[in-house]
Parts: sequence; structure tokens; C-alpha cells
Amino acid sequence: MANGTADIAAPILQLSNLSMTFESAHVTVVALQDIGIRIGRGEFVTVVGPSGCGKSTLFNILAGLAEPDAGAEIRYHGETKRALELLGQVAFMPQRDLLLPWRRVVDNAILPLQVEGMPRAAALKRAEPLFGEFGLSGFERHYPQQLSGGMRQRVALMRTFLFERDLTLLDEPFGALDALTRSLMQRWLLEVWQKHQRTILFITHDVEEAIFLGDRVLVMTARPGRIKLVLEVPLARPRPSSMLTSPEFIALKRQVLAAIEEESVKSFQQTAAD
Amino acid sequence: MRTGFGAQLAALAGILMLWEVGVRAFGLGSHVMPTASAVFRDLWANPELMARGIVRTMTETLLGFAIGAAIGFGFGSAFAVSRAFERLLFPLFVLSQAIPVIAFGALVVMWLGNGIWSKVAIATYLTAFPVTVNTCRGMQSVDPQRLALLRSFGAGGWTIFWRLRVPFALPSIAAALKLGISLGLIGAIVGEWFGDTVGLGILLLQAMYNENLPRLWALILVCGAIGIFIYALFEAIERRWIFWKQEI
Repeated sequence: MANGTADIAAPILQLSNLSMTFESAHVTVVALQDIGIRIGRGEFVTVVGPSGCGKSTLFNILAGLAEPDAGAEIRYHGETKRALELLGQVAFMPQRDLLLPWRRVVDNAILPLQVEGMPRAAALKRAEPLFGEFGLSGFERHYPQQLSGGMRQRVALMRTFLFERDLTLLDEPFGALDALTRSLMQRWLLEVWQKHQRTILFITHDVEEAIFLGDRVLVMTARPGRIKLVLEVPLARPRPSSMLTSPEFIALKRQVLAAIEEESVKSFQQTAAD
Repeated sequence: MRTGFGAQLAALAGILMLWEVGVRAFGLGSHVMPTASAVFRDLWANPELMARGIVRTMTETLLGFAIGAAIGFGFGSAFAVSRAFERLLFPLFVLSQAIPVIAFGALVVMWLGNGIWSKVAIATYLTAFPVTVNTCRGMQSVDPQRLALLRSFGAGGWTIFWRLRVPFALPSIAAALKLGISLGLIGAIVGEWFGDTVGLGILLLQAMYNENLPRLWALILVCGAIGIFIYALFEAIERRWIFWKQEI
């Protein structure tokens, strides 16, 4: 299903005409305008764009935390839904790990299962086999404040994965990590994704990351946030890190960078004019 | 072991020595300032009297504290969850604290009689306020992103309350409990002044009327020791169980 051949004909998520306007007493900001996205089952789609392009707003809508302007159409599994109906239907991982400092690693990981009403013992049993895979063996009884940034992020990812939903939203999960840890985490995430056959929508600032991970890359524009470019990534999987220097990769990168640069300049001018 | 514990003990012994020597050197009569040895002699001579007073006053303090903490937690939570409720009642809570507790004392005795419950009521009154304020503030300061995350897991109001708001507010609630138990002790002692037959407050009054200064000082030391003990107890509980203050 993956490898760019995802089943777009029967998409898991379909957005059209999605706009989001924030109005306050003095200003009206159009954060998103006419967004249209189709995501097939098992696809790994990455979203890249300049800061302030409304990527996080898009995620909040998909997680059911915000309602877009009237006229937007959201189809999840083919059914038309209001954004608020997606609350609890989509696994959402925000930028910060947001671990609860009073819970041990294991209890942080099973939080969504407990919220769903699963007894702790059953939830622990479900989580147990995953600790090795998430590189957390031996740290189950630690508190988050005893872990490194990379490990905390893996706990947050494990928590997101235990909240088994058909769509997983990851908002710059590796943004705060150093380059080395980051590239390790990317390859690890691809393994986990392929093994568990999840559908992932992944936000990032990093063009290389977007291409390296994605079946498709969506490039967003600065305010108002629109989708400027949809780029298929025809690179074979599994993808070794040596791929980052291949001519095909560099050609894709050039294409994305050109689109982004145009947007960044626009965004910069906007800020200067404000 | 913390360094300097021995030194602290030595300093305490030094102060007692200075007290003893100073009072003798200046020839102050026992009606002005008793010697340290006279104070301790009085303490040793009346173990039963002291023990009964301590047990009674501690009972009043702990009962008042427990009820006050429960009331404070309840109202604080309600204020945190409902803005409307907070607007309606919170100003009254603040206003009530502007009235000195002494002003209520006589009323409480008339309503609840001269027994233990009038003292408990005063201790309750003093404990409830800081616990209410800190519970409310602690819960209101809950991290909105963590709130959004739990909601994205499909969590409802109760789940968010028990799994997020309460633990999030616990460090600030613990700070209020430490303050509350100290205030509760004051409330219990002052409450006894409105009339009773047992308790440290009563012993203080009797010592005053009899101009029994060694007894008065003995009681002052006992009250101080109790205050330090309960504060240290809560401090230890906080350190052991509520360790995430720095992380939120």
C-alpha cells in the first residue's frame, strides 16, 4: 500500500474548501484558505512550509480541537464530519512531548488507553511488547524528567501509537532534537510505520526530513496558508541515509526549496509590512 | 545527613545557656523572666497536664485542618471549573478573610457550645481559605496544550479533572496545606480562649492569670515544638510524594 502507491481512490481522509479565519477586535487573520487534501490508507504524507503558514492550525482542526470556517468539507472514512466529531478519532502528537511529570514512563505511554477506560493492568500488558521497539527497555519505571529529549520524544510517540487510530498526526516531533538523534529517529520512525501500517500526516520545517519520510510532500504557503505544491516522492523504500545525497533526492529537494523560498520571501515581506 | 545539624543543635544549646546565664546575671525576678532551667523543671513536673493539653489541641487542629482542607479543595475545584461560580462566591471568600477570626469566636461558641467543635470550626475557617485559593489557582494554571492533548484522546470533564487538573494543582495545594496546618494550630489555641477546660490555649490563659511565668514559657515552647513538628511532617510528605513542582 505504501511506497507512493497508496489507495487514493478510497482515501481515509479528504479535505476540501477548508479555510480558517481568526477574528479579533482589530484584525482578521486568514490562517488557512481552500485547503484540499486526500490521504490514502497507509500513506505517509509530510507537510512542509514557512513558519506561520497555519500547519499547526490544520492539525488542531484534524484533531477535533478547532472548527474551521463554514463551507469546509471534511470526509473521514468517506463520511462527512464536523471537525469536533474527530475529537478522539485521530491520534495527535503535538510539538512538545507534553509528558505528565507525575507519571512514570509506562504510565505516560498508557494514558490514552486509560482515558478510553481500559484498566491499568490490561493497558500495561498491551504496552509491554512495545518498549523494546521504542528503545525504552529498562526505562519503564523512570520519570520523564530523568530522560533525554530523544527518549522523551519516543515516549510521546509510543503514547500516540498506543492510541490506535486510523490516522496519526505528528507535529514536528523531532524539531527539538539534535541532527544526529534526529536522523536516527527518522529511520526508526519509518521502520515502526512500515511494521504497524499506520497512516501518518507529518508536519516539519525541514525539507530533507519531509522528502526522506514522505510518500508525498505538501508544500504550504505563508498566510493565508494554502497548498502550493503536491510532490510525489518516487524514492524506493526502505530508504537508507545514503539516499540523502543521491541525484534523485537532490532534484526533489531543489523543487521543494524553490517553492518554499518564494513563500518565505513573501512571509518575510508580510511580517515587515505588518 | 545534612551538614551543620550538629552545629544547629550546639547553637540551640548555646541560646538556652545564654538565657540561663543572662537571667541570673541581670537578677531578673521570675515574675519578669524565668530561667531556662525553671521552665524545663515546670515542663518535667507536669507531664500529664501537658500531654492532655497537647492531645486536645492537636485533635482540634487536625480535625479543623482536615475539614478545612476538604472544604477548600471542594470550593477551589468548583471555582476553577466554573467561572460563573467563581465570580459569584470568590469575592465573599476574600471578604470573609478581612474579618479577624476573633470577631467570629464568640458567635461560634454560642452556636457550637464550649466543647471541641467550636475550636474545630475556627481551625477549619483558617485552613479553608488558603487551600481554596491555591486549589483554584493551581487548577486554572493547567497547561492548555496538555488539556488539548487529553481532549484529543477523547477525555471528558471528570477524566481531565482527576488525571490532569488535580495532579497539576497538587504542588500549589501542598504549599497551602503547610500554611493551613500552621493556621489551624493558631485557630485551635485561640478558640480555646473563648472558654473550655482542657487544651494548650486554656493552660496559657491559666498561666497568665496566675502569673506563672515558667509555665507560660513552657507552653510557648510546647506550642512552638508542635508547630515545627507538623510543618516538618507536611514538608516531608511533600518532598516524598509531590516531586514535580519544577516540571510544570
